[in-house]
Amino acid sequence: MTAVVTVSRRIAASAERLFDAWLDPKSLAVWMRRDGSAPSGAVADRRVGGAFAITMHDPNGSFVHAGNYTVIDRPHTLEFTWRSAATHQTDSVVRVTFTPDGDATVVEVRHELLPDAEAVQRHTEGWTEIIDRFAATFAENGEA
Amino acid sequence: MGEYQLDTVLSAVADPTRRAILDRLRVSDARVTELAREFPISLNSTSKHIKVLERARLVERHVRGRDHVLSLRAEALGEAVAWMTQYREFWEQRLAALEAFVLADADADGDVDTDTASGAER
Repeated sequence: MTAVVTVSRRIAASAERLFDAWLDPKSLAVWMRRDGSAPSGAVADRRVGGAFAITMHDPNGSFVHAGNYTVIDRPHTLEFTWRSAATHQTDSVVRVTFTPDGDATVVEVRHELLPDAEAVQRHTEGWTEIIDRFAATFAENGEA
Repeated sequence: MGEYQLDTVLSAVADPTRRAILDRLRVSDARVTELAREFPISLNSTSKHIKVLERARLVERHVRGRDHVLSLRAEALGEAVAWMTQYREFWEQRLAALEAFVLADADADGDVDTDTASGAER
């Protein structure tokens, strides 16, 4: 089984600044949280193999998101495992890339929701097609 | 949507032949024998794929006399898409918050940033 989610955003800041904001627990506590909620609790052992834990507070309670860093390549790529109640405490993989674009940086988050990386690689394309097609179907039906 | 149900849906669509069958059923309902003719696989193999799709409730089978007619049940896939959409929204919100954070932060210590712009540090 497989699922992959990719989200990107162009942000008017340097790749270094964005990379650091992603890795620094003090910064994470401020922005890695639900809108309007109290700051998250964040601890991070910032080295490959090191662990992090982010406790987010949302209206339904507090939820811990935790993982280990697998790639720390400043300011290009940050990759870590990601476990939470939403992943049933199994490891998924999040890869964040920072690509300079003029005076801004495109930050892309790729979340592979699978313990089986090989299956993700094999099936990502199919899923993307399916999603696109169904999104188009819903749009045609006016249900999107 | 139950977790087990989500697993079966994701497994079902992880196979290219089964996705092709779903695509075919988007166009119109089809008999099992028709599908077996249209795809370069045996009737037996087609049946196995269809059983997987039925278990995931992506496909419904109606028996009309001797014909077994299959139709697409898109809701199950829609539910899986909705589940993935939650993650997309989660990361979209986080990136928006990251943007707000670094832009506010840039105002706060813009001088420091300028001083180290030559990049000697780290």
